[in-house]
Amino acid sequence: MSEAPAPTGIPGSTLPGPFPVGQYADRLRERLRAFARVQVFGELWNLRTSRTTVWFELRDARGALPCSMWRSDFDALGVEPADGAQVVLAGGCDYYPGSATSSPSFSFRASGLRIAGEGDLLAQVERLRRLFAAEGLLEPQKRLPRPLLPRTIGVVTGERGKARDDVLAGLRRRGWAGRLVWAFAPVQDRHAAPAIAQALRELAGIEEVETIVVARGGGSLADLFAFCDETLCRTVALLRVPVIASIGHHSDRTLLDDVAAVACSTPTHAAEAAVGLDCTAARATLLREARRLDACGRRAVVSRARVLAGLARAPAEQVARHRRRLHQQVRELRASARRRRADAAADTGRRLLVLGRKADAARAEEARGRRTLADGRARLAHAAGAATARRRADLDRLALALAAHDPARTLARGYALVEDAGGALVTSAARARAAGALAVRFHDGSVRASVEDGER
Amino acid sequence: MTAGEETPEQLTYERASARIEEIIRRLDSGDAGLRETLELVAEGRRLVEFCAGELEAVGKGLEELRLEELVARLERGGADAPEPPPA
Repeated sequence: MSEAPAPTGIPGSTLPGPFPVGQYADRLRERLRAFARVQVFGELWNLRTSRTTVWFELRDARGALPCSMWRSDFDALGVEPADGAQVVLAGGCDYYPGSATSSPSFSFRASGLRIAGEGDLLAQVERLRRLFAAEGLLEPQKRLPRPLLPRTIGVVTGERGKARDDVLAGLRRRGWAGRLVWAFAPVQDRHAAPAIAQALRELAGIEEVETIVVARGGGSLADLFAFCDETLCRTVALLRVPVIASIGHHSDRTLLDDVAAVACSTPTHAAEAAVGLDCTAARATLLREARRLDACGRRAVVSRARVLAGLARAPAEQVARHRRRLHQQVRELRASARRRRADAAADTGRRLLVLGRKADAARAEEARGRRTLADGRARLAHAAGAATARRRADLDRLALALAAHDPARTLARGYALVEDAGGALVTSAARARAAGALAVRFHDGSVRASVEDGER
Repeated sequence: MTAGEETPEQLTYERASARIEEIIRRLDSGDAGLRETLELVAEGRRLVEFCAGELEAVGKGLEELRLEELVARLERGGADAPEPPPA
């Protein structure tokens, strides 16, 4: 663009000029760049990147500064500061003067960046989280019984958000078609927290509402700070109805996520968590179970009836069986008795015959014995007579022989026996002298004699 | 105490369905005598009816209400307050 000749100034103005704006912008840049280069710190927010440059704002309670950094410098740091991160920047003022076709802009051009720690807001959330934990406020919601199949569900969400459709989709997926109470509330500006708390209190105040879903689509953490509000979170912690949170931020948990009964990543999941039962499947299961019960009941009765009928027939059959067996036994018994009688008669006849024979034999034996006895006696008598005569003859002979040797016969023939006083035979003169007194026995008696000779 | 003896206020779908499963397991085991079987079947039928009622209550069609409407209706009071308008 060719430079146009300078127009006439404003009448009455005492200021110098008019100067071409480009020239002024150049001078402004020179002056700003002449500012002292310093380090500044604050919370980093709204980080945006272009091909060559990274843009963000540095904020604290008193003010803010638009900042930029060459993309190459920023990437070299290897950091990904989240919104609210406390950072220290090194750099100085810069001004892009723009052109006929591009807008100018002022920024604090950083040549260095260091993350100093969590931002005040995040630190505040962290403080609250610790406080809630210490007070035991993270637990009460988790201890509430959650109905598997609520009839009425309350939903707190933005009226025009996508979250609403997601909740409906989740409920449809469960086959749930009960009563849904919508409580629409702003979900991201500074009015959000009190409005959400109020909606929750009112929903919990309706007796039929069994579960409440708080749903919100995604967004930057700064937008989610409404869900870290202390009053709102205390309200949720002490609510009688279980709250299922779906604040929709995958990397940062809000305080509401912590105090709620369940925290889900999407509104669809939250709806599915609110209805724990897949109603379509449950209906099929229930039908199956009902049929099963019917079958069990029928089977139990029919099978037992069959057994009973069998049992009822059993006694009669048993009696008939026993009767048949008894008749058989009686028949066998009679036959057996007959057989035994016949056998016994035959035995008796046989025995009589044997006995008769034995009696005949005994009689014959007796006659033979008697005959033998008579014979014996005769033979004995005869034998005895002969033996006696023989023995008498022997005796006579012996008596004669004996008489021949009798000393008395010798004495009668004139011999005498000399005995001493003791009656011992004295057979020598020496013994006679030694004895002194002798007895001389003759066949008709003894005389005493004394020895006259002395020893010679 | 079995689920079948609970009052309707205490009985929940999960308790009822858990008890039904328990009953069916017991029946399938074949250990139950006739009297027990008949009692279990009767209890099971009651529970199935309860569950069917619960499922029916959330199967008639989605009813959407705005909190303000519901609160306004409750504030007006009256016996018809909890009743939904015809779907």
